[in-house]
Amino acid sequence: MKILSCIAAGALALGLATPFAARAEQPTLNLFIWSDYIDPGLLTAFEKQCNCKVVETDYESNAEMSAKLKAGGDAQYDVVVPSSYYVPELADEGLIQPIDHTQVPNFSNIAVKFQNPDYDPGDKYSIPYQWGTTGIVYDPAKIKDPGTGWGLLFDPKMNPNFPFVLPKGEGRDQIGAACAYLGYGFNCSEKSQWIAAAKLIETTKKRANFSGFIDETPARDQMKSGLIAASMAYNGDITQCYADGSCKNLKFFLPDQGAEIWVDTMAIPTHAPNPKLALQFINFILDATNGATLSNYNQYASPNAASQKQLTGIMSSGLINPSAAEMAHLSFLAPLRGAKYKLFNQIWTSVLQ
Amino acid sequence: MIPRGVRYALSGISWPVYVLLYTPLALVAYYSFSPAPNSTGHSLHAYNILLHDGAVAAALRRSLILAFGSAITSTALGTLLGYGLCRFRNANAKGFLAHLPSLIIYTPIIMPSLVFGISELIFFNFVHNATGLLGAGLVTMVIAHITFQVPYVALTVFARLSGLDPYLFEASYDLYANGVKSFFYLIVPVVQPAIIGGFLLGITLSIDDFTISFFTSGPGSVTLPIYIYGAIARKGISPEINALGTLMIGTIISLALIQFFITRHRERAGQLSARGKIA
Amino acid sequence: MSTMPSEVAIEAGRQRLRLWVTAGPGLVWIMLFLLIPSAILLGIAFFSADDYGNPVLPLSLSPFQQVAGYSLLGWDSGNIAIFLRSLAQAGTATLVSAALSYPLVFFIMSRPESLRPLLLLFIILPSWTNQVVRTYAWLELLGPNAPVSWLAHALHLVPPDLGLAPGSFAVTTGLAYNYLPYMIVPLYASAEKLDWTLVEAGRDLYASGARLFWSTVFPQTLPGLLSGVIFVAIPAFGDYVVPQLLGGDRALMIGSLIANQFTETPDWPYGAALTIIMLVFTGLGLVAFRILTRKLGGAEEATI
Repeated sequence: MKILSCIAAGALALGLATPFAARAEQPTLNLFIWSDYIDPGLLTAFEKQCNCKVVETDYESNAEMSAKLKAGGDAQYDVVVPSSYYVPELADEGLIQPIDHTQVPNFSNIAVKFQNPDYDPGDKYSIPYQWGTTGIVYDPAKIKDPGTGWGLLFDPKMNPNFPFVLPKGEGRDQIGAACAYLGYGFNCSEKSQWIAAAKLIETTKKRANFSGFIDETPARDQMKSGLIAASMAYNGDITQCYADGSCKNLKFFLPDQGAEIWVDTMAIPTHAPNPKLALQFINFILDATNGATLSNYNQYASPNAASQKQLTGIMSSGLINPSAAEMAHLSFLAPLRGAKYKLFNQIWTSVLQ
Repeated sequence: MIPRGVRYALSGISWPVYVLLYTPLALVAYYSFSPAPNSTGHSLHAYNILLHDGAVAAALRRSLILAFGSAITSTALGTLLGYGLCRFRNANAKGFLAHLPSLIIYTPIIMPSLVFGISELIFFNFVHNATGLLGAGLVTMVIAHITFQVPYVALTVFARLSGLDPYLFEASYDLYANGVKSFFYLIVPVVQPAIIGGFLLGITLSIDDFTISFFTSGPGSVTLPIYIYGAIARKGISPEINALGTLMIGTIISLALIQFFITRHRERAGQLSARGKIA
Repeated sequence: MSTMPSEVAIEAGRQRLRLWVTAGPGLVWIMLFLLIPSAILLGIAFFSADDYGNPVLPLSLSPFQQVAGYSLLGWDSGNIAIFLRSLAQAGTATLVSAALSYPLVFFIMSRPESLRPLLLLFIILPSWTNQVVRTYAWLELLGPNAPVSWLAHALHLVPPDLGLAPGSFAVTTGLAYNYLPYMIVPLYASAEKLDWTLVEAGRDLYASGARLFWSTVFPQTLPGLLSGVIFVAIPAFGDYVVPQLLGGDRALMIGSLIANQFTETPDWPYGAALTIIMLVFTGLGLVAFRILTRKLGGAEEATI
């Protein structure tokens, strides 16, 4: 017990001393971003360029980030990185502020395809950061014929025995995939279509080999351990594990019935303590070389046209860059606003029950 | 006092339970020696990365400060609380008001962590805007952690004290000890196992808390669970995470064993010298 | 003519003062730092929700209607199922951890005194690893590729290619693993002060075995057991990490339903209403528990 009290006293002393030691007079950029989504080298480079300090705080889901912003976090952070389908919501709720494009000249580096998107006309509130696709990953040793659509997940005949999962999240991808499988197209938007999709997922849930609602990234890890044989996955996650050799045996494909292409964006919370620094940071990321460094680190595709020549290694593979034929089947998730959003949430809740 | 047959039965149940308690940890340790990327064969690669990772060290330090700082305060508050309610409350009071202190104490236990965390964030934000105090950071986290630990300590101490012979307190008064003295010389030694148990529970609750810490933390105040959740969300249960868990448990087991052997050595040395004096 | 306060009244006053001095700081802390903040948040249960789940006027009781099962899709019984499921989970966790704790506590008591803190620490230690990491380890230990699952398959307990996890056996194991420390600490603190002379007395009166245990040993451990029940049942009621990972998350628990209302499918007033109902239910349960334990323990208070 004496040892414990010594450790305690030491820890307490250390803790009390630290705040005084760390009080710097430099301006600080508070970055609120997905875990492990930015090269620490880039942060150091930015610190040198702006003569400021960057403090990174992480989150693992749009929902968590949104909850924290709503409860008062929008006055704590300068830059936040929401996924595209969250931007209309955050803007409607007044949680993010319009971006002053005169401060972001590097915006012209962004590929035309990603400028002026449906989810944020005129790029008023957000700037593209990285983009990717969501498809199916499966174990070819167990599943011999995965087909070309979403049947691997929804058709019991294609996978009668092996464990598989669907993501939990907010339901957009799952309902979209079910709609696509049923022939309504990935971006179905009618209540009746949503309900039909929801019923399909509920039937799927009841199959003996359904192993739960596990999100894309944790599902990839269960795939690596051989605990499951099929799930939805982000292409960048698969690229990463191909690169470090931990999932050489797994295969990824984009169902031709329709799949999601998504963009993660940078935005500035309304009460950001240091918006000028935020704009500087966004401009910094959009630089051609920095954009390439970012994507080479993350192994996700870059929306930055000027960076494409500097991407290395696996970044030129078909995994990161879908072919034209594949692109034809990819769609952005249409923004859901207002009453439709509420309806969708209630449908998804009833599916999870 | 426990008959031999019963003692064997107890061992027969308990040793397998201890093995089962540590089987998952053994698996974690096994995976921590996984081969480095693109190579084969077990290695210390993960430990290498871990020991050079400044972010982990910072998160670990913050978690320890948070855990010990909050546990010490909550043990003090909780022990007083448990003692006071056991000793000085009118046991025969009826009606809703009589249940009130209990309900207040139970609230942190029954409140879902997410609601707890969000409430604290809203509250601290309001206080900060109004007075400039309590900016989100380590202090707000410590306050929140103390709040959820106090009931556990209070209940544990109470359980230990209840059923204690009330005449023990009278006896100390007869010896002219006032309230404070009798508390420290009589009560504390008696409830020491409960105080220590409550303290350990407090540390346990704090070290593993994610949700409340996430919402009450300010920019950059990353604790170990927050760091681990983030690392798992991005890279899965990597060998580094397994190495971290193995190191932590390994360190504590080593410290505990060292302390145990030192104490035993001292006791034996004490016994030997006593015998020497007699002989 | 004023009457002098009697000695009894003075003493009662002093008792009340002592009560305030000792219990006061803790209670005030909890009131200031939890009761007030959560009252603010839970107050939004009486507002309507806008389309993004934020509270807006007019005031309304519709969130409570949602708790009862009404939504834009009409009525469904899902919430009742969630509630019962969570209750069952709390019960299982409590029973299993209590059943394991008693043998463990008395095993520790049968060892020399110097060894006891160590043995107790070794039980608590696994809970100092991250919950996700250790739950994942169980997922692997009970998953489709694990030896235990092959055994279960051989005994025709599970279909081929599936494992014991995810499944209810895995969930029970995970719950017991998680909550054992919370049951053992108060039980041990209580059992350690056991008065063995009472057991001797019972033996002298020719009681033996089970009868001896139930009549002399068990009642003395009651305060610890009751604290342990509270420490396990209440968190287990709201737990969703274990059923999510080890149970295949096929079925929502009340903890995740509430969490979803503040994050994935935002509807803060609904989330607040669910929390209020859950708090009221648990509070009533605790009050009933207290009254019951007072009757069991006679005049003596067994738990706060």
